[in-house]
Amino acid sequence: MSLFRREALPGLFSAVGLLLVWKAVSLFFLPTFLPSPLELVARIASLFSAASAYLILAKTLERVFVGLLLAMLFGCALGLIMGLRHSVGSFFDGWVMVLLTFPSIAWAFLAVLWFGLSDIAPIFTIVLIVLPYVAMNIWEGAKALDKELTDMGTAFGARRSLLLRQVLIPQLMPYIFASLRIGFALAWKIALVSEAFGASRGVGKELMYWFQSTRVDMMLAWGASFMMLMLAIDVLILRPWEKWVFSWRPALAT
Amino acid sequence: MALQAVTIEGLSKIFPTPSGLGKFTVIESLSLEIARGSFASIVGPSGCGKSTLLNIIAGIEPSDGGRVQILSRDAANSAARIGYVFQSPRLLNWLTVEENIKFALDAQKIERSEWNARVRNYLDMVGLGGQECNFPLNLSGGMQQRVAIARALAIEPDILLMDEPFSHLDEITARRMRVDLMRILERARPTILFVTHSLREAVFLSEDVYMMSVKPARIFKHLRVDIPRPREPEDPRLFDLEKDLVKEFFAVLEQDVR
Repeated sequence: MSLFRREALPGLFSAVGLLLVWKAVSLFFLPTFLPSPLELVARIASLFSAASAYLILAKTLERVFVGLLLAMLFGCALGLIMGLRHSVGSFFDGWVMVLLTFPSIAWAFLAVLWFGLSDIAPIFTIVLIVLPYVAMNIWEGAKALDKELTDMGTAFGARRSLLLRQVLIPQLMPYIFASLRIGFALAWKIALVSEAFGASRGVGKELMYWFQSTRVDMMLAWGASFMMLMLAIDVLILRPWEKWVFSWRPALAT
Repeated sequence: MALQAVTIEGLSKIFPTPSGLGKFTVIESLSLEIARGSFASIVGPSGCGKSTLLNIIAGIEPSDGGRVQILSRDAANSAARIGYVFQSPRLLNWLTVEENIKFALDAQKIERSEWNARVRNYLDMVGLGGQECNFPLNLSGGMQQRVAIARALAIEPDILLMDEPFSHLDEITARRMRVDLMRILERARPTILFVTHSLREAVFLSEDVYMMSVKPARIFKHLRVDIPRPREPEDPRLFDLEKDLVKEFFAVLEQDVR
């Protein structure tokens, strides 16, 4: 317990220090330009005393989820085929590079022009930006697959689906999780930008609205709430899931 | 025993040279017959194409001519069952010991109702009863290789291929594994084609020893080892056989050099 306290100490100092500096700077400005920490907490509390705030958060979360899911599914499938079939890899190499290098913000605008104000525009933008990252990552993983294990499976007569399920995909799991984490971090940032221009509802729309009303306090309140939700998803879902998937690895010395 | 489990006729394999320009023959017109329930070893120096031969039999690599026929014991199931124990265990580290064996049973389309009994039976046989739920990376190299042996035996193969299965283990572990393998064979009686570069190992384990030359691989000597089992690793008769074979081996090797 004493060890825990000693290790937590620097973190505690930095958090308290940040709050103090923030508080000190905020004394020179109006709360609507730079709120103090307590004022920000009050804004968040009042924001979420209304049911509509939860619906807005849920809407954005839904787009992040659907976009990420589609990008992961197609990205993993594409990356795996590119790795297993050399010709497919060379064929899509250029496409993936084009997608990777095309400016993200341009996709966001194009999506609005093509799909209007709807759910499709932000989801389309997420998929187009996240998919090439996933495909690239899984492609790398597929190139590193252990041929000896595939040969073992073939020698025992494993059919294709069994090989895929128990030999190939487990080897790709580290790459899949790396993609998922990058994809998740990218997806929610893209979702907000895309919603700011191309949605009638969502956290991005709220940020745009309060930006146009020059209300920094409300922008920060939305930003901080969304950040906490994303952190919670990472800590409560993604990390435990990853730990569970890799439980076969011998535990490090405790 | 008149019934042949495995018949290999005129098998050849050609590889491109590392430069990619030329070709060289790894295996040339190799023929071999293995009787059902017998233990045959192929002995040859490293790089003589022993592993390639096993890979062709297992269907991992195509051949460039000739024929491999493996007789299936059960007539309803026409495809022969092939078990393979590699130099390294080649276990699926993300599956438990039990699941690793079930992978092979699944691949061989063996009735699901038989799985648990087979897992228990063959893990007991290799001395790993109670390790069902452990993960491979928690086991020693020797124990991992035992799991690999149990996996290959569990499908009750028509032919069990073993590719220098003890060469990656330390000598003390390897010696114990060889003695244990003898004991296992008393109970399971599979047909085995065992590949090794160690004459001593081949003579100790097998009923038939085939000696293979390098580039191209061909069999130049067949020896029956008629010493009854269980054999003692220190049996002087085994030493004598080994000594004779070594002499013969070097005679042929020197001929090849000239």
